[in-house]
Amino acid sequence: MSLTFRGGVHPKGHKELSCQLPLTKYVTKGDIILPLSHGIGKPAKAVVKKDDTVRVGQIIAEADGFISANVASSCSGKVKAIERRRTISGAMQECIVIENDGKYTLADGVGVHSDLDEITNQDIIDRVKKAGIIGLGGAGFPTHVKLAPKDPSAIKYIIANGAECEPYITCNDQLMRSQADDILEGLQIILRLFPNAEGVVAIEDNKPEAIEAMQKGVAKLASTCRIRVLALPAKYPQGGERSLIQVIAGVNFPVSKLPADVGCIVDNVGTIYAIGRAVAWNEPLYSHVLTVTGEGIKNPANFVVSDGTLISELVEECGGLNGGAKKVISGGPMMGVAIGSLDVPVVKTTNAVTVLTEDGVEKAEEQMTNCLHCGRCTTVCPQGLLPQTMADAIDLGNLERYEKKLYGLECISCGSCTYVCPAKRPLTQMFKQAKAEIMAQKRAQAGGGK
Amino acid sequence: MSTFLNISAGPHIRDRWSTRFIMCMVLLALTPAAVVGVIVHGPHALFIILVSIASAVGTEALFDILIKSKKNTFFDGSAAVTGMLLALSLSPETPLYAPIIGSMFAICVVKCCFGGLGKNFINPALAGRCFLLISFSNAMTVFPMDHMSSATPVANLLAGKPVDLVSMFLGTSNGVIGSSIAALMVGGLLLWAFDIIHGQICFSVLGGFTLFVALFGGHGFDLEYLAANLCGGGVVMGAFFMATDYVTSPVSRLGQFVYGMLIGILGGLFRVYGSSADSFSYSIIIGNLFTPLIDTYILPKPFAYSKKDIALQNGEPKKPLSERIPKPVIVLVVITLLAGLGLSGVFELTKSTIAEQRERKAWEAYRSVVPDAVDFDSVKADEVYEFGRTRVNEAVKGYAADGSVAGYAISVTSAEGYDGDITLSVGITDDGVVNSICFTELHETPGKGMLADDPLFKDQFNNRKATSFSILMTGKSLSDNEIEVISGATITTKAIVNAVNAAYDFYLSVIKGE
Repeated sequence: MSLTFRGGVHPKGHKELSCQLPLTKYVTKGDIILPLSHGIGKPAKAVVKKDDTVRVGQIIAEADGFISANVASSCSGKVKAIERRRTISGAMQECIVIENDGKYTLADGVGVHSDLDEITNQDIIDRVKKAGIIGLGGAGFPTHVKLAPKDPSAIKYIIANGAECEPYITCNDQLMRSQADDILEGLQIILRLFPNAEGVVAIEDNKPEAIEAMQKGVAKLASTCRIRVLALPAKYPQGGERSLIQVIAGVNFPVSKLPADVGCIVDNVGTIYAIGRAVAWNEPLYSHVLTVTGEGIKNPANFVVSDGTLISELVEECGGLNGGAKKVISGGPMMGVAIGSLDVPVVKTTNAVTVLTEDGVEKAEEQMTNCLHCGRCTTVCPQGLLPQTMADAIDLGNLERYEKKLYGLECISCGSCTYVCPAKRPLTQMFKQAKAEIMAQKRAQAGGGK
Repeated sequence: MSTFLNISAGPHIRDRWSTRFIMCMVLLALTPAAVVGVIVHGPHALFIILVSIASAVGTEALFDILIKSKKNTFFDGSAAVTGMLLALSLSPETPLYAPIIGSMFAICVVKCCFGGLGKNFINPALAGRCFLLISFSNAMTVFPMDHMSSATPVANLLAGKPVDLVSMFLGTSNGVIGSSIAALMVGGLLLWAFDIIHGQICFSVLGGFTLFVALFGGHGFDLEYLAANLCGGGVVMGAFFMATDYVTSPVSRLGQFVYGMLIGILGGLFRVYGSSADSFSYSIIIGNLFTPLIDTYILPKPFAYSKKDIALQNGEPKKPLSERIPKPVIVLVVITLLAGLGLSGVFELTKSTIAEQRERKAWEAYRSVVPDAVDFDSVKADEVYEFGRTRVNEAVKGYAADGSVAGYAISVTSAEGYDGDITLSVGITDDGVVNSICFTELHETPGKGMLADDPLFKDQFNNRKATSFSILMTGKSLSDNEIEVISGATITTKAIVNAVNAAYDFYLSVIKGE
């Protein structure tokens, strides 16, 4: 079986900036600002009021609806306000602002170990739900929904995604090196839900230490543990859900289907670690790993950071920005979002703060030419699409051709086409816009039908 | 703080490949061919290349200024590539106005008028070349080598003459500036290795061409014949540098394969059944014109919508390899094999008939040039006689009804024809008077060189006795040995006169033993 997916690109990793820096716990000094929504789905409903006292791990906002997740406090202190604040996306969002007393008093029951043998499968899902765990890889899909597919016996693979294919980011590498046993514990808990599934820890081969640590961890387990570690060639977007499934299960599937429809569940190693903590230690998701890196930061670092910490505080901890810093990205340079202000809080899905001294977009705008039809975008598209033809269709305003003939909605916005385009066209940006427009049209039609 | 930060949508990093980088790589890949061309053909070739590139870039710059474009596309290197390609496909003796006009046409009409880089519908360099071929056919098709007007290797190949493969491969034979196959291959294969050109295009062009020539060329899988065909007529340059032009080739892999095969097969068709040595340019242009159609009908589906993946999504197991080969592939392979076998069978069957027909044609010619003869006897020659670029094929002695010698018929082939070989029979009486001449092979330009077969021209030789004929370019006084030139077909006239002289030479030296 080939161990790589079709397409993909090889951007320079820049992981050497931070890959040997061990995880350190960052203790937030300032206030904690927790948005009610950290990922996909409906924002949670606040269950605390202004001036309420909260403790670490206390649920301060509860899921509202099926696809929605709880939010837990990451510090102890007093609720200062519930108001609209600027968040990472640049938009204003309803946030709970907590005045941090710096004591980090734990809420009742948090951190108490449970005997796993006494926990039922339903308990596992309930605890994951209560802990407010969402996918830490990027989109932030509520994990308890993922863990409850229609037919658990049809799931063949539980994929622990440790690929970390985005350039610069190294926090999952460090997490796997230092917390291999905890990650495997989480994976074993998930495997209990799926009797026919095999656990696969997928790691890119540019992280040999992480592979070794995970392999050692697996060796300690019983031979019936149904877990193996798989080293994959380093290629972006290897850590994409679809790329991993293409490699491990050998199947491609349209965006209208979920991984569970083809017998797979993919979770980030950070998410799996959080599941382990939530189920075995009754610890809600209020902190996660994060890399602060890039040429534009003085001292890169890998942190375990509390949700709601301001990025400016982290940057300061790392010695501040260099004079040459041009762009700060929440996430990696391929799929991350550029942020205009550092005074925004870290959310659960923020896995990195990357400070670039050279802005590829700015440079690209200078070099932009007409499309050459060179086909490099077609070669690298991991979905097998025709980016150049799709862009032509958008230029002509032909969204119907984009959607129906060119399957434009299958684009996963990985950015590979834009990365390689010699004409420096903003392809991914065009596709994102076109997809949003088509979805808006569809919603409008559905609304009009009623 | 931090108000200085850039905000834009990702991805925030880019590959270092830019349009200019790609164009520079293509220019670099063409450099070996250019260098060989300049070394072999001298400084005029260098002037052609420089003038061509300069006028291409200049035209684009001028156009940009005139339409007030802010893009300044003349700096991206694509115009330079067009100029270079055009120059390499010109004869080293082309007058300098040709590359200027060709580049201007290529850039201004074909590229800029259709929207500039990435919008042209056919390859600009090829369009410029074909424009020149049609407009200045005389200047374009003269390939002097060692200061002697002669035909290119492909013209010889079309005429069924042997060619010098080694010199074609190295680029030292008669041809365009960029005719060094070795240098072109180095550049082309490097581009392919660096993933700048698509292998599925260049190799399907070469494959399609080879297949067609092998099946229908009449020589079967004769390696030397195939290699000679591949090395001549711009096939290699076309396959690696022109057919692979991004803008005018299809988007999908399958489309690119179909497009390449189309060009290869058309090129083969024109080569085997056509008479022009420049046919490959036209086949690529036709391929370019088919590109939009191919792109409309060959639209690949995303991976998730392939038959295999839909089956897997529905939980069906993977099929064994034998079931995964698509049926059309098997059918096509079988059809190709059968066609190949059939054609080679037909060739074997007709081989003797073709030879018989040639023989009959030759004898008819002998009878017509020695009309009094009732019986012929062949004249044995000890060795192959060649006079300059004319070869004596055969000579026969004709006897009249009373047993006396009626005259001799000598068949000669000249390689100096404008478009391939000219074969004719010359009839000479026993006392050295030329009876008449008769052509058995003549493929010259209609309306010009073909007028050689007109009695007005060929009857000039009748009943004249001269040891050596010469050409009368102008004026009226015709002395004994002068032949009036065919207007507009000096090359053809020269070839024929030299051939008749060669036959006469043979008559004197071998038959009469003087």
